Amino acid sequence: MIQVEGLTKYYGNYKAIDSLSFHADAGEIVGFLGPNGAGKTTTMRILTGYMPPSDGRATIAGYDVYENSLEVRKRIGYLPETVPLYKEMSVWHYVDYMAGLHGMRGNEREDRVDEVLDKVGMLDRANSMIDSLSKGMRQRVGLAQALVHRPSVLILDEPTIGLDPRQVREVRELIREVGEERTVLLSTHILSEVSQLCSRILVINKGLIVAEDDPDTLSARLSGSTRFYVRAGNVEPDALAEAVRGVKNVVEAHASERGVEVTSAPDTDVRPQVAAAIVKNKWDLLELKPMGMSMEDIFLQLTTEQDGEMVMEEEEAL
Amino acid sequence: MSDVNRSLHTLWTIFKHEFSLYWISPIAYLVGAAWLFLSGFFFSRSIGAFNQGGFGFGGLEPSMSYTLSPMAFLLMFLAPALTMRLVSDEIRSGTHELLLTAPVRDWEVIVGKWLAVWGVFSVFILITLLYPLVLVWRGSPNGAQIFTGYFGYWLWAGTILAIGVLASAVTQYQLIAFMIGEGVALFLFLADTAGSLVNNTLISTVLTQLTVTQHYQNSMLDRGLVSAVDLAYFIGLSAIALFLATQTLNMRRWRA
Ligand SMILES: Nc1ncnc2c1ncn2[C@@H]1O[C@H](COP(=O)(O)OP(=O)(O)O)[C@@H](O)[C@H]1O
Ligand SMILES: [Mg+2]
Repeated sequence: MIQVEGLTKYYGNYKAIDSLSFHADAGEIVGFLGPNGAGKTTTMRILTGYMPPSDGRATIAGYDVYENSLEVRKRIGYLPETVPLYKEMSVWHYVDYMAGLHGMRGNEREDRVDEVLDKVGMLDRANSMIDSLSKGMRQRVGLAQALVHRPSVLILDEPTIGLDPRQVREVRELIREVGEERTVLLSTHILSEVSQLCSRILVINKGLIVAEDDPDTLSARLSGSTRFYVRAGNVEPDALAEAVRGVKNVVEAHASERGVEVTSAPDTDVRPQVAAAIVKNKWDLLELKPMGMSMEDIFLQLTTEQDGEMVMEEEEAL
Repeated sequence: MSDVNRSLHTLWTIFKHEFSLYWISPIAYLVGAAWLFLSGFFFSRSIGAFNQGGFGFGGLEPSMSYTLSPMAFLLMFLAPALTMRLVSDEIRSGTHELLLTAPVRDWEVIVGKWLAVWGVFSVFILITLLYPLVLVWRGSPNGAQIFTGYFGYWLWAGTILAIGVLASAVTQYQLIAFMIGEGVALFLFLADTAGSLVNNTLISTVLTQLTVTQHYQNSMLDRGLVSAVDLAYFIGLSAIALFLATQTLNMRRWRA
């Protein structure tokens, strides 16, 4: 449904996203996880036709997001990071206006506005001024706006940011519900959010996709294993990998261009033992280097949830 | 839904939205009040002058010129005040992100907004149709001239408002948008004066033709004429301003 190839965006000379490639299949809820400044909003703004990419391409439902922007925009519902609302309008008229912009008319439109407000639990506040709503309610009105024209793809930029734990749960429940029949791309910097909602997670950092996994695998990788490269002289990489695999607590070791890639068991550091093994074999240890992007480093910047309930309010600090 | 049909629907949707937003904002009432006060002032003064010549309009020929002519000039303060927030407010509040990602074209956003603010001003103008009624009641004015005077005024308002929409798309700062709108309007009043200072017939002819006085006061308002050139002047300037405003909005995507 969403197909992204080599997407790149420069702001002036600054490369905000760097040849991103990923896809989301129909009916999938895909999480876009990364710390602030990773490039999540930038990517979403390109997908929604808000701004053109500097390079690469993306298609939604087969339409190029730049060449065929209007066709794409008909098919997506978008909730931007700071929910854009006309504060001086009533909830109903706001959603009705958005339905109108999507070409809906007449009775069908009015019924649909009622229906979608009911769905997000805001029908009883339909006549309230948006100005008077709480943050959680505004978020739900934003979702109503994104859903009103029955889009097949939903793009939600940090939909639970700044909400209290109860509101977070409500909005999350809502997303799960509406995600049953459509493709959802959801960005967040809260790890537990994606693990609870998404079938697949793309981890993005500094404009690069650094991991793509299902939630369980990602959690395993997060549980404290170390990953590094090791290179040694006077030995073939395959033989080195073989030897390293024999070291206790090494989960995986295989030869690559840059040396042997080693992954340790959770919460262990096997580097001393690997070094010792090389020395014992009388090979020359040339290099022992952490893998370019340590997952832990990235996740240290992500907020986590404790006890599955409390959202740490580090969001503001980040 | 055909393309034309869809565009009309979008224009109507944006028009309705913007038009109703105006009536809950203080600026529409401030500008409306200023418009009614100033036009009322000039009109009653002209009635006074007519009466000087004796009972009824014995002295001067009853005409709307004494009212619409100064108001055409003062429009350069009223119109930009209405338009200065039109695009920039959306950018400041982030709502433009919805407009730019909705299945609507950039020109539809600009033209829809322009039609809305023109609609608001049309309401102001309609109220002052009471003045010619007074003229009809007290004398026998030239009906055709009153019609072209109002029609030309309405076109001129549309033109300045289009320029104001452009100014609002160019800058996020309302004061700067206001001053750009006012500056361009002032230029359109003074261009012929500038032209008379230039020693080049081509340039001075162009500058003279750019002057609103040529197409409004000296033509539609005072002589009751509607020429193709005058129509082309107002329609052309409006179209250029709206086109540039659309380009500006589109450029924001690239600079975003
Ligand atoms: N309009 C812009 N102009 C210049 N730099 C920008 C702009 N928007 C975002 N950036 C920069 O691009 C990077 C990615 O930003 P963004 O896509 O907003 O990340 P995220 O949504 O993951 O927090 C950040 O370093 C940010 O400062
Ligand atoms: Mg963001």
